[in-house]
This record gives sequence, C-alpha cells and structure tokens, in this order.
Amino acid sequence: MRRKGINYAKYGYIFSIPFVVTFLIFSLYPILYTTVIGFTDLRGLGRTDINFLDNPFQNFQIILTNATFQKALSNTALIWIMNFIPQMLVAFLLTAWFTNRRFKVRGQGVFKVLIYMPNIITAATIALLFYSLFGYPKGPVNDVLMAFGLTDEPMNFHLQKWTARTVVAFIQFWMWYGHTMIVLIAGVLGISPTLFEAAEIDGASAPQIFFRITLPRLKTIVLYTLVTSMIGGLQMFDIPKLFLLGGPDSATLTTSVFIYNQAFSGSYLYNRAAAASMIMFVIISILSALLFFILRDRDPGRARRRERELRRIARTLDGEVSV
Amino acid sequence: MKRKLGLMVCVLLILSMGLPVFAAGKQESSPKVINVWSFTDEVPKMLEKYKELHPDFDYQIKSTIIATTDGAYQPALDQALVSGGADAPDIYCAESAFVLKYTQGDAAQFAAPYKSLGISVDSLLKKADIAQYTVDIGTNKSGELVGLGYQATGGALIYRRSIAKAVWGTDDPAVIKTKVGPGWEKFFQAAAELKAKGYGILSGDGDIWHAIEGASEKGWIVDGKLYLDPDREAFLDMAKMLRDKGYHNDTRDWTDAWFADMKDAGAKPIFGFFGPAWLINYVMAGNSGGSAPGEGTFGDWAVCEPPVGFFWGGTWVLANKDSKVKDVVGDIIEWITLDSSETGLQYYWANGTLNGPGGTKDTVASGTVMEKSDGSLAFLGGQDMFDVFVPAGQFATGRNKHQYDETINIYWRDQVREYAQGNKTRAAAIAEFKQQVKDNLAIEAH
Amino acid sequence: MKMGMLASRNSTKAVIYIVCIFLALISIFPFWIMFMNATRSTFEIQQNSVAFWPSTFLSSNWKILVGKSFNPLTGFMNSMLVSTGATLGAVYFSSLTAYALVAYSWKLRQPFFTFIMAILMIPAQVSSIGFYQFMYSIHWTNSLWPLILPAIATPAMVFFMRQYLMATLSLEIVDSARIDGAGEFYTFNRIILPIMKPAIATQAIFSFVFSWNNLFLPLILLTNNKKYTMPIMVSLLRGDIYKTEYGSVYLGLALTVLPLFVIYFLLSKYIIAGVALGALKE
Repeated sequence: MRRKGINYAKYGYIFSIPFVVTFLIFSLYPILYTTVIGFTDLRGLGRTDINFLDNPFQNFQIILTNATFQKALSNTALIWIMNFIPQMLVAFLLTAWFTNRRFKVRGQGVFKVLIYMPNIITAATIALLFYSLFGYPKGPVNDVLMAFGLTDEPMNFHLQKWTARTVVAFIQFWMWYGHTMIVLIAGVLGISPTLFEAAEIDGASAPQIFFRITLPRLKTIVLYTLVTSMIGGLQMFDIPKLFLLGGPDSATLTTSVFIYNQAFSGSYLYNRAAAASMIMFVIISILSALLFFILRDRDPGRARRRERELRRIARTLDGEVSV
Repeated sequence: MKRKLGLMVCVLLILSMGLPVFAAGKQESSPKVINVWSFTDEVPKMLEKYKELHPDFDYQIKSTIIATTDGAYQPALDQALVSGGADAPDIYCAESAFVLKYTQGDAAQFAAPYKSLGISVDSLLKKADIAQYTVDIGTNKSGELVGLGYQATGGALIYRRSIAKAVWGTDDPAVIKTKVGPGWEKFFQAAAELKAKGYGILSGDGDIWHAIEGASEKGWIVDGKLYLDPDREAFLDMAKMLRDKGYHNDTRDWTDAWFADMKDAGAKPIFGFFGPAWLINYVMAGNSGGSAPGEGTFGDWAVCEPPVGFFWGGTWVLANKDSKVKDVVGDIIEWITLDSSETGLQYYWANGTLNGPGGTKDTVASGTVMEKSDGSLAFLGGQDMFDVFVPAGQFATGRNKHQYDETINIYWRDQVREYAQGNKTRAAAIAEFKQQVKDNLAIEAH
Repeated sequence: MKMGMLASRNSTKAVIYIVCIFLALISIFPFWIMFMNATRSTFEIQQNSVAFWPSTFLSSNWKILVGKSFNPLTGFMNSMLVSTGATLGAVYFSSLTAYALVAYSWKLRQPFFTFIMAILMIPAQVSSIGFYQFMYSIHWTNSLWPLILPAIATPAMVFFMRQYLMATLSLEIVDSARIDGAGEFYTFNRIILPIMKPAIATQAIFSFVFSWNNLFLPLILLTNNKKYTMPIMVSLLRGDIYKTEYGSVYLGLALTVLPLFVIYFLLSKYIIAGVALGALKE
C-alpha cells in the first residue's frame, strides 16, 4: 500500500525541471530582449544607451502603418495558403494510403523514405536550384516550354510576381509535405491494430476506416500538425529570402524577411524588428488559439472520463484538464 | 529513484553553469597571437608568405574566416569588435560592399588610424602611388586613414576583337575607346551600330550599372536623406532603351545566360562586359569556352577605357584600435597595402607569384608596383592589361559610396527591372523605390 | 460485385503507384543534380547549372575542396557531436516534459503548456540577436555546448510528444506499474519510452536534420576552424563572391548530405514498419 498518501503531482514539477532550467539559461534573455526592445529606441550598432520611448507603442504604430510591412503580411498569408492547403491534402492522402492495410502498397517503405528527402537538403541549395531552373533567357524550364511549343519566346519568370509566389509556395509544399506525412503516420502507428482488425472483420471500407477510426484517434496529432505547420508557414524565411531576395517588386517578401531586413540590411532597426516580431507573435497566437478551439475535445463525456481517470490515479484534486 | 533524479538535475546544472567558465578559461591565450578576421582565405594565405619572408616573426596567426554569402560575417565581426577581449580581431578585412560601415559608418569607432600603428602614411602613399579612391574609402570622418586595399579594382570595357573588326574595321583599343566613349551618348551610338550588324553591345542591363553607379557625382545618401543622382536616375531610361531596342540579350548578371554570353552561346553575339581585372581572371577566362587562343572566345578579347570611370569590388584591411600588438600589426598592414618593393605583397600579387610562379596576374593598388609589373595576358591576345587598368583606377572615385549601398542597390535595380519590363510607369517605379528605402532603412527621400 | 470491387481497388492501386512514383522522382531530382554538379567544373556549372549526366571533374573538385580549409573529418566529427548531442537531449527531455504534462495532474500544468506554446510562436530573427549577444558576453564562443544544450528545451517537440501521449497513452498502464511498485522515473524510462518509439524516431530524424543543417548560429558562434561543422565549411567555400568554386561547393554539399542519408535510413525502420509498435489505447 505504498501508493497511499503519495502526491504524484510533484513529479509533474520534477520532470519539467530540465526543460525549465535550460529555458532559463538559454532562452529567457533572448526572448525578454525581443519583448523589451520593441519599446525602446535601440537602433544602430554597439549601443549602450538604450532608452524607453515616450510613446511606448511608437515602433508598433510605425510598423503597422508601414506600407512594406502590410505588403509582407498579405504576401505571407497568400504564400502560406498556397502551400498549406495542398500540403495538408497530399499528406493526409498519402497517410491514408500508406496506413491502409488493404492496399498493402508495395515498396511503401521506399516511398516513405524518398518522399521525406526534400526536407534534408538545405534551403540554400533548393533556392539556388529553383533559381537556375527558372532561368531567363535560358534555363531548363524555358527550354522545356519552348521544346513543346508552349511559348515562342523565353519567359522572364523572375519578373513575374505570381510565378515567383507560386514557386516559393511550391518549394515550401514540396519540402514539408513528407515531413507532415511522417508525423501523421507516426500518429497512426500509435493506434491499436486491433481496432483496424475489428473494422475489417465488420467489412468497413477504406474511407470508412480512415474517417471513422483513424482520424478521430489522430485528432491530437492533427492539431499538432496544423498548429506547427501554421507557425512554420507564417514564419517562412529561408526560401523567400534566398530565392529572389523577396522580389520581384516585393512579391515574395514575407514578414520574416521584412523583420530580417529591418534588423540586418543596413540601418540596424532592432527596435522596429522586435516590434514587428511581437506583432507576428500576436497574430500567430490568435490563429493557434483558434485552432485549439476548433479541435477541442467536443465529446464532453470523453474529457470527463479522462479527467476522472487522471484524478483517480493521481489522487490529487487540484488538476485542470483540458486540451 | 529520487536520488537519481536529483543527481541528474545537479549534473545538468553543473554542465550548464560550469562549462561557460571552463570554456572561457580555455580561451586565455598568450600575447604572442594575432587574430585575423576575413571572409576569404586570401589574407590568411598572404600572411603565410609574410611569415616565410620574415623568419624571425614569432607570432602565431589565428585566422577566422566567415563567409559573407550567408550574411554572418558582419554580425559575427561586429560582436567580436564590441565584446573585445583576447579573441577580438587585431586585423580585419572588409569588402567594398560594406567597407564604409567599418571606415566611416556605424562601426568606424573600432578602426585604428594607420598612423597609430607606426606607419608613416603620408610618405608611403606618395611613394607607392596608391589609387585615390582606395584612400578616400579608407579615410574616416576625421580625415585619418584607417584602411587600404591591396587590389585595384578600377574597371574597363572588355570587348571582343573580332566583333570590333567586323563593325569598325579595327580592334585597336586606342580606336575602340573613341567609338564607345567618352560618355554614354557615344556608347549608345556604338550600340546602334553594333545592333545594325546583329550584335548586342552588352549582355544585360546589370553590366552598365556598376559603371553608372561608380561614375555618378553623388551617392545614395546626401545629408542623411535618400538622394537620386541624375546619373543614377538615367539608368532607368538606359535600361529601358537597351531592352526596347534589343541592344542586349536581356540577361541578369551572375546567371547562366550571362556566363553563356562570354563564350558566345547566347541569342546574339555580345560585344563587351564592364569589369575590373578580376572579372577577367575569375570569371571570363574560365567561361570563354577555352584555355588557349583559338578555343572558344579565348584570346579574342581586349580592354579599353570605359565611357565613364568606375571601380567594382576589392578588400580593405583594417586594424583594431584596441589591439595589444599594434607595432606588429602595423608592419603586416604596411607590407600588404603600402610596400611597393619587390618583396612587398603587391608585387607578388600583381605578377601572380604569391604561391610560386604562374598564378593569376591582378591589378594592385600601388601604381609604382604596376609600373614594374607585366600584365600581358594570352586571354587578351597578348595585350598588357595594366596599360588600361592603371589609369582606370585614377578615374574611379570613392566619394559617392555609402554603407547602405548594397541594400539600396537591390531595391533600385528591382524597380528598374520593373520599369524596363514595362510592368510599371517611371514615376511609380521611383515612388516604390523611395517607399522601400523609407520602410526598410528609415531613410526619407529628399 | 466482388469483381467490381477488386477492379476498383486495382485501379485505385494504380493511381497510388503513379502518384508515389512521381513524388519519389521529384524527391530524387535535387539530389541527382547535386551529385552530378559535384563532378562538374565551376565553369560547366556556370554555363548550365542543371545537368543530368556526370562530368570528369570530381577529383579536381576534391583537390580544391581540401585545399580551401575544408576538412571533411573534423567537420564530420563536430557535426556529429552537435547533432547527436542535441538530438539525444531534445528527444529524451522533451518526452520527459511531455510525460509530466500528460500523466500528472498539477496546478501549473496548463499554464506551463500555454507557456511552452508561446515560446514556440516567437519569431526567431530578433531573438537570435539576443542569443548570440548573450553567448559573446559570457565568452562562450568556439564551444559546441551552446549548440547542444539549448535543445533540451525544444517547445515544438514537447508539443508533439504531448499530443502523441494524449492519443496513445493509457493511464492504466501507469497505474499498474505503480501497483507493481515501480518508481515514477523507472516507469518513464522502462515503460513509457518504449511506447513512444515511433514518435521518438520521427522527432529524432527531424531534430538531427535540423542540427546537421543549422548554419547561421554555428557560423556566428564558431570562429575557430577546429570547431567548424560541415555546413560552415561549405559556406566558406562560397565566401569569395567573385570566384566561387561551384564544383567544390556541390561536392561539399553532397558530402554533407551523405551522413544524413545513413541516419535517416537507420531511423526510418521505425516509421516504415508496417505494424503498430506500441499501441495501448483502444
């Protein structure tokens, strides 16, 4: 009867110590730095006399009314939607195919390995590759289009805004759909095989199994996937920066590239870069909260059962359970 | 179990807290070390030669090389300069795109005047006959010299002999320079004549940009505000004319199509490229499609004075004002930038003998060295390139440069392309350019 | 009826194969170009940067590579130390933190989770200035530790592990372990970690790839060439703007990516396994 009287809650704290300590040592200062300097006059190099502004929100006002920031914000949203939707659709489709026990896709091990591979090349290499592919007046894509007679003159893709955005969105999609798929498959592998066996015996069809059994049990992983893809997409930096430096005519300028330019392209506007970061932080937080809300556990019975189970085991009364 | 966990946390804490001390302790180095920061191995390699020439030199050279391509060199150098200590650079290099930040701009306070290093600047400058633009760029706001380059990067027009003969009946640089200049009017006249025979004068509009930028009277920033020099504004119209009239192959510099034009593999044969000596050595020779006269376009080139003077690129060498070994640093810097003797760096560099005979010849900052060096190249059909590049250095000026140039040029050329392509009106392109500079650099337009 | 189902299943399968083969081909494409360019000369690459067949410059590219302070062995060792260290730390402690968030009911649990999510959402550009300022001010440059230890607090991974545990962990198993007299730490190491294998394998791959390819931070913090990681060495090859040796750059990139293949193939068996590994919850 060792269990009696043991307060398991303390293990929650103990097991979190390494994370918290590491965070305090390495990340607290950088994050405070970002939060605080948005309210100061810190610009320029090697400055030691940093003052808070009389109007603490001046940098925020400047950023919000900044025409280039507004452009960057809408580019980010556009390019994100253009890659997020196909990325999710393809990743889910592949997950359904690869985890379906009836299709028994042959060589699926090889496919799973290969499809993730674009994610292991550095962004710089990929950006350079696509820059050359779409070269003008000569480049492989132009060569192909002309060989098939689809165009008489080579096309100057690097000056076409929508082509540039589409290429950036495609690269993002292509580098990350395999990643998303692997996450989803890992989630499916966590589901008990007996569930699938039972469904098969009952004669359920592939779509039925996927939508009725796989997806509901994958909900927490789906939430993870959506939230992290959204954060990653809205902070997209490498590809737009390296592909055409945010051009042509700012068509692929994303907010992260904008923030980088504020801080590093010459004037060292650290304060404005920090303010822009905090604005992005607020936007991302709101959208994430929305996703958490949409995908919350809507079956109150299940949540309650889980809570009861927890309480019974932990024998503490002070926990809150929610997703 | 609890003990194990406690132990783990302790170990973690000790690791986290103890290691900085350990790491910092390790870094205490002997005073016999010279820290050199650079973005290529060029200067570190020079110092190997320096050691070889000075057997009694007993300092250890610790070189730190960080590439500029990924944007990390400047942040790292800035931090190292600001933090100081044993790891701070004694000697550091800056490329022409950002050298002004370290000589006159935001990071100028770290640079030691050459005089404080024990270099007799005035007499040596005269003796070595250093190109004035190099000195202008290396002079800080209080008029002290803090940096000099070893290369001279004055530019010329590098043109095809066979095309010159086909159009004007001669390939003599003395005649050709009167066909393409002086001034842009004559240059575009020549472009029309070339076009009539089916040639393009340039590969793309980027080729004239370096010349226009270098020759304009004023730079981007005048009295802290954005200034659009009439010469630079004219680039809009020139770029559009070049494109509309088909004077070039519409390439962008540093892309496949641009390199292809060097060996005559583009839509139409291209007459010339603007550039300094390094463009011939590092880019054009290798891309000419051959390595001996008669192969590809190798040997079919010549250089002549450009329609306007300019320079492009170059590395400046600076010293940290907090260096503990200023005398030694001074000796090294003098050897690199101001020694015009035959055992000075520049003599080896000009004749391509730094790492033994047969290396690439290059133009150097010292006119004195140039005079006693031989710049004839098989690539140029045996022409002595120094005859053209040495005076080219005198046309160049460093007074129109600013530390924000790299960023502002990106915005400017982006908008020029938009206008030349016909995507935008002239006024809209200029307005957008000013907006971008204002939004990204917090610099208002005049 | 049965025939019809079979036929439709066969046509579905055909579609699956066509799509998969297409996706696999475009995945291989950049690697192919990279390996081909590693055998081509700089000037061949400048003339045509995309080529499908090899050339003959592999050995001269190799000579340029090692002549330019590129030391594959040192780079490999450093990259390996950083990536392995960071991955082990990230995977183990993220699992532990996630377990704390799922298995125990404690007062600060929800606020702690919200806090972790908040860290995840802060854009990195400005924070990175703070981080390297801090590292410089405590003189902790030229050490691999600042690239390894921060991985112990990886918010994205904690988030994933938490979501995974919520979907798969049955608290009954924890309970029965307690009845058997197992300590909490023992339960985590011996019972929970094995359940999490698929999750750990995926996150280990991601973390390893991320550390291996990470460039900007190492570039700023590691200035001593004995500490260079492989991506730093490749980046140095591209340092000279006016005479970049592209052939050797591609060779360097190819060498950098090879160890990643090995690690990925080793870990992928947990992902591609046809059967579920540690499912407990029904």
